[in-house]
Amino acid sequence: MAVIEVHDLTKRFGVLTAVDHLSFEVDAGSVVGFLGPNGAGKTTTLRMLLGLVAPTAGSAAICGRPYQELPDPLHRVGAVLEASSAYPGRTARNHLRVQALAGQMPDSRIDEVLDLVDLTGAAGRRVGEFSLGMRQRLGLATALLCDPEILILDEPANGLDPEGVRWLRDLLRSLADEGRTVLVSSHILAEVAQTVDSVIILDRGHLVTHDTLEELTARAQHKLRVRTPQAEQLQRLVLAQGAAALVVAPDRVEVTGASAEQVGLLAAEFAIPIFETTTDGVDLENVFFQLTEAAATKENAR
Amino acid sequence: MTRLVRIEWLKLRTMRVGFGLLATSAALTVLFASLEASRAGNGQSGVAPLFTPSGLGTVTTVTGWSMILAAVLGVIVTSGEYRHYTATLTYLGSPNRRRVLAAKTLTAAGAGAIFGLVSGLIATGVGLIFVAAHGYHAALGAGTLVAHVAGAVVGAALFGAIGAGIGALFRSQLAGVISVFVWALVIESIIGGLFTSVRPYLPYTAATTLAGIKLGGAAFGPAHGVAGGGPLPFAAAAALLIGVAALLEATASRTTVRQDIT
Repeated sequence: MAVIEVHDLTKRFGVLTAVDHLSFEVDAGSVVGFLGPNGAGKTTTLRMLLGLVAPTAGSAAICGRPYQELPDPLHRVGAVLEASSAYPGRTARNHLRVQALAGQMPDSRIDEVLDLVDLTGAAGRRVGEFSLGMRQRLGLATALLCDPEILILDEPANGLDPEGVRWLRDLLRSLADEGRTVLVSSHILAEVAQTVDSVIILDRGHLVTHDTLEELTARAQHKLRVRTPQAEQLQRLVLAQGAAALVVAPDRVEVTGASAEQVGLLAAEFAIPIFETTTDGVDLENVFFQLTEAAATKENAR
Repeated sequence: MTRLVRIEWLKLRTMRVGFGLLATSAALTVLFASLEASRAGNGQSGVAPLFTPSGLGTVTTVTGWSMILAAVLGVIVTSGEYRHYTATLTYLGSPNRRRVLAAKTLTAAGAGAIFGLVSGLIATGVGLIFVAAHGYHAALGAGTLVAHVAGAVVGAALFGAIGAGIGALFRSQLAGVISVFVWALVIESIIGGLFTSVRPYLPYTAATTLAGIKLGGAAFGPAHGVAGGGPLPFAAAAALLIGVAALLEATASRTTVRQDIT
C-alpha cells in the first residue's frame, strides 16, 4: 500500500521549472532513495510533499491526504529538511522541548532521542555552537521525537564525517527494520545504496527511473578484462557477436555486453588461448551517472 | 490554540533576545524617568514641578520605550522564524499558518504586556522616589497611578501585536525592526507635527496616550513638543490599535504567510 503518492507534480519558480510532471509512489515499510544531482528538484519535491511549498500543478499526499490535512502530522511524518533549522541561541534540549510540546510528547522522550543520536552530552549546549554534523544529528532527533511511521530526510548525510555516514547508515537500517517507511534524498548513490530497497532518480525535475536496487544493478554494464596473446583476433570475434571490445594492451581486451562464459566459449571455438579473465564489480554510481547524463542529453536535445 | 500559544511562549522563554529587550526597556525607562524628574520644576524644561499632578504625571508615564521595544519583540517573534529557518519546523508541527500567526500575535501581546507593566512600575517608582526625596506629597492618587500603569500594559501589549504583524508582513527581521523605529520616532513626528488634528489617530501616539502621556508632553518622539489637539478616549485608542494589528495580520495572512518556505 502506497503511503506517499506524488501525482503529476509540477513547480515553477518564474521561468524555471524545478519539478516537471513528477509522479511516483512509496509503499509502506519500504526504504527509498530519492536521488539526483544538485538542482534536480529533490528538495522542492520533498517540500511540496510536506506542504511547505505550494505546487504549481499536480498533487502530493501522505497516507492519502495532503500533509496539511493530516491529524497529528508529527506522529505520522518525521522530516529533516535543513540542518540549520534551529534557533542558534537555544540549547539542544530546549529545541527539542519546543518540538515535544508541538507533538504532545513527554520530556522523557527527549532523553531517548538525544541518546539515540549520541547527543546526550551536548543537550545543554546552544545549537549555535554545534558543528554541521551535530546539527544533522539534532535534526534526526527532532524528526524521531514523535516516533513517526514515515521519515522524510533531505540529504541527512551532509556534513557528516565518514564515521557519521556509517552511523547514519546503521540508524536508517535499524529504522527500516522497525517497519518504518523512509524516503531519503541524496546526490550520492553510494551514501544510500546499502540502506535502500529502491531508488527514485530525478534529473532537472523529471523522473529518470524508479527501480529496485536489483533492477538498477541489472542495468549495470559489467566489464570483462581478458588476457590473451591474440587480443586483436578476439576483439574481432567479440565485435562480430554484437558486444563491445577494446584492445587496451597487446595482450589485453576489455569486453562489455558479454559474459565471461560467452567470451570463453567463443575463444575455445576459435582455439584462442585465454590466460586470465576478471570481471569488474557492479558500479552503481556509474549507472546513476549514466542515467542522469542520458536524461540531460535527452533534455538538451529538445 | 492554547497549545500553539504555549509553544510560542516556550520559544520566547528559551530565547535570550526577549530578556535583553525587556532589560533594555527597563533601563531606558529608568534613564528617561530620572531625566524628567531631574528637569521637573526647571523653568526652561517645560516640565511642571514634581509636587504638581502634571509634573509627577510626566515622570510616571515615561513608558514609550516599552511600547517600541514590545513591537520590536513582536517583529522578532514572527520574522525570526524566517531568519533562522525555523519556519520549516514550526509549519511541519502546525501546518495551519494563520493559527500559528494568531498564536504568535497573542504571545507577542502577552510579552508586550509584561514590558508595559515593568516599565510602568519603574516609571512610577522613579517618580515617587524623587517626590519622596524632595519631601513632597504625591500629587497623584493611587487610582491615577494604577491607571497609567494599566495604560502602559495595554499600549505595549497592542504594540507587541502590531510588531508581530509587521514581522509577518516583512519576513525580514532587520526591515521590520527599522520600520518600527522609523515609524514611531520619525514618520509620526513628521505627520503629527504637520497635521495636528491627525496626531491622536497615529498608532504610536495613540498607544502613548493610553498610558496617560499628554500630547506634547512625552520625553521623545511625536508626542514631544508640539502642543494642541486632544488624545483619543482610552477605548477608542485601544480600538484603533487593535484595528491596526488586525489589518496587518489579515494582510500578512493573505500574502507573505502563504508564501513558499524554501
